[in-house]
Amino acid sequence: MSDALLEVEDLRVRFGGEVDAVRSVSFSLDAGESLAIVGESGSGKSTLALCLLGLIQPPEVSGSVRLNGQDLMGASNAVLRSLRWSTAAIALQGSPFNPVATVGSQVAEPLRDRTSLSRSQAHQRVAELAAEVALDPHLLDRYPHQLSGGERRRAALAMTLALDPQLVILDEPTAGLDPATRQDVVAAIQKLAAQRGFALIVISHDLPDAARLAQRAIVLYAGEAMEDGDSQLVMTEPAHPYSWALINAFPVMSTTKDLRPIRGVAPDPRAVPPGCPFHPRCTQAEAQCWETRPSMLASRGRRVFCHFGGLKELLSASGLSKTFRSGSSETRALDDVSISLREGQSVGIIGPSGSGKSTLARILTGHLAPDSGRVLLGGTELPASWRGGAAKAMRRRIQLVMQDPADALSPRLTVEALVREPLDLGDEIAPADRKRAVAEMLAAVGLPSSGSFLEAHTHELSGGQLQRVALARALVLRPKLLVADEPTAMLDASEQARLLVVLRERQVEMGLGLILVSHDMAVVRKMVDRIVVLDNGRVVEEGPSEQVSVVPTSATAARLVASAPAFMPRRAPSPPPGDVDERSR
Amino acid sequence: MSVIDVDTAAPPKRHRARPSALMLIGAVVLGLLVIVAVLAPVLASNDPKAISGPALEQPSARHWLGTDIPGRDIFSKLVYGARASLVVALIGGSIAMTGAIVVGVAPALLGGFADSVSARLVVFLLALPGLPLLILIGSLAGNNRLALTLVIGFVGAAPNARILRSQTLSLRQRGFITAARGCGGGPLYVLRRHLVPGLGPLIVVGFVNWAGVAIGLEAGLAFLGLGDPTGVSWGLMLNRALSQPGIYYSPMWTWWVLPAGLGIALAVLGFTFVGVGLEPNFNPRWLRAS
Repeated sequence: MSDALLEVEDLRVRFGGEVDAVRSVSFSLDAGESLAIVGESGSGKSTLALCLLGLIQPPEVSGSVRLNGQDLMGASNAVLRSLRWSTAAIALQGSPFNPVATVGSQVAEPLRDRTSLSRSQAHQRVAELAAEVALDPHLLDRYPHQLSGGERRRAALAMTLALDPQLVILDEPTAGLDPATRQDVVAAIQKLAAQRGFALIVISHDLPDAARLAQRAIVLYAGEAMEDGDSQLVMTEPAHPYSWALINAFPVMSTTKDLRPIRGVAPDPRAVPPGCPFHPRCTQAEAQCWETRPSMLASRGRRVFCHFGGLKELLSASGLSKTFRSGSSETRALDDVSISLREGQSVGIIGPSGSGKSTLARILTGHLAPDSGRVLLGGTELPASWRGGAAKAMRRRIQLVMQDPADALSPRLTVEALVREPLDLGDEIAPADRKRAVAEMLAAVGLPSSGSFLEAHTHELSGGQLQRVALARALVLRPKLLVADEPTAMLDASEQARLLVVLRERQVEMGLGLILVSHDMAVVRKMVDRIVVLDNGRVVEEGPSEQVSVVPTSATAARLVASAPAFMPRRAPSPPPGDVDERSR
Repeated sequence: MSVIDVDTAAPPKRHRARPSALMLIGAVVLGLLVIVAVLAPVLASNDPKAISGPALEQPSARHWLGTDIPGRDIFSKLVYGARASLVVALIGGSIAMTGAIVVGVAPALLGGFADSVSARLVVFLLALPGLPLLILIGSLAGNNRLALTLVIGFVGAAPNARILRSQTLSLRQRGFITAARGCGGGPLYVLRRHLVPGLGPLIVVGFVNWAGVAIGLEAGLAFLGLGDPTGVSWGLMLNRALSQPGIYYSPMWTWWVLPAGLGIALAVLGFTFVGVGLEPNFNPRWLRAS
């Protein structure tokens, strides 16, 4: 018998015999611990919360929920009643108040119902509770509609805490509040949890709030836990493809990368896909993902519901060095540079001219052999030679988009021949289907695929169209990794924006890893998760895009930030504490 | 996002530049020359090497352009001379371009030692003055016309090699070659798909131009009296005609000097016009999109 406060095992909820709301969720919570259950609407979060207090009973529910060792499944109403409020209390989503009674009388309700306190004692206790949650005492005599959203939330919190429960479950504690009020409510909950030491379960679709309120987080998708681990770790370095996609869709100040939607459509709870429920929307899904159900695997310091232990590592390059010799003079172009990238992620390589950016790009794509160091592509070393079928297949998985599309595209070939060339060099796609593959890829990069466009030569297209043809050509092989060396340097602002949008969209759709090489901080920060700053062939700074582009620590990065284009003078790069910097996003 | 519109029924159209007037003139001239050369035995009324009448006869029904010194038919020599000129043009042009590819393209592609050796060889050959060299070799080769033609070809290899080499070097570094390599294209694929189409125009234009030059050079050498004295060529005809003292004081030059000179001029111009006219067809920037 474990001494866990709450133990949930293989909990399943199925409504009406066909709607799977929760599918096999297991976790346990010790006294004083905090847990966030996060996910989109319809992921089964609230249903799960109701089960935790026995508010949904068999036959809809199966599995077990043990509170202090007492199984709530099938427990009698008397037992459940004795546990609710006093051992575990829940603040349901929205307002729990009856509109025709004053707030104070409703907060006192559990006290009157379950304790032998006198009327005046109860009144006294309610006033204490109000003080604890920082609710103005005279508001207790008002009706719920006379309170603001934040005040109602505080009052509900006071009611939840009335009987000093060991476990507090808060369903969407901050939903619908303005940012400042939300901040206050979160602070109040944090303070109470620290003072009283109750265990806390926060149900929320607001990821940053959930991360602040709980140490541990479980990401729910289609009623199933996808990832379970330290909440900071899960939010800052999500491992499961779903957590990653969810966090990319969340507007936060901690990254400068533009928002990305989650690929595909939300699952239908009546027909949850077999195997891994996320596989239709996952960019790294393979046959086993729709054939067999994954299990929770320990990976990167947390547990992940994925056959591959989460996002696959696409690229891992370490210790890359390159020296160019010309006669007696030597140029150290690259000195011990390491870089790694997972499925769908993007890294910016930024630095002044001659810092070794292009050398790095050429080494990563196999066009140049490093003097030392290794480039691993999906765990396999990039072969040094161009020869052999295996080497060819490897090279086709990593593609390069060059700065000048007019140079990168043969002037002798038509658009169709250009985009088709990579396909003709391999046999992944049957010759009869290649024309269609070309047309699809052109459409995917926002180009027409009409006969006259396919027959056009490069000199008949604009720079932006050309670069998108070059992109289509690079992507037609469905590579996992794209190295773009100043892809927008030759384009005007509008075409640049279009190309970046197309690139972003392809990343979402294909799980494409992107290495964006540039000297333009303003462009890079919108596209990437992390920025690597190169100078004289060395990495002088590396960090999340927000850090490097807002508060750079190296002189090189600071110079690049200061010289990046802006319409109005910017403030100094170290804002005072608490100052919200609207430059990000 | 645009709608996918796959038009599989439409056949690919090739846009070709409309042939220029210059090109047409050149082609017509060359065409006539070829016809004359091929039909020489039919067109010629006499054996060009045989004495068929009295020396220095005036034009007549039997000898349309009269006869030369020993009494050979000038018209027949003119007709057979076209043959000689075309052979020199084809062989000279081919040898020049083959040599240019061998010493210009291949080493540039391979790089390294072969490249530096061939680059120096080309510079050395370019430093040699062409015409004196030809005169020297021509006088050593005596009356061997084939040897002379070969030398004309070799002299043309060096300047063309330099042009092809620089084009190969620049093509080799172009992004689309890198891109083709990056999606798995091997060296042979790159050569076939990107380098030859890139060099093709230079090779064709170089060939046509050197063919014209070869005619001029051969005529010049023959005119100087180098080469087979018993052969039949326009250069030799000029040599013989102009060795007649006071030929310009008689009307003789109009049927002896003029036709041979015109023949040489037309053949050189024909090749040159075609060479200039061909260029747009190989440069996609000049193609007109319809």
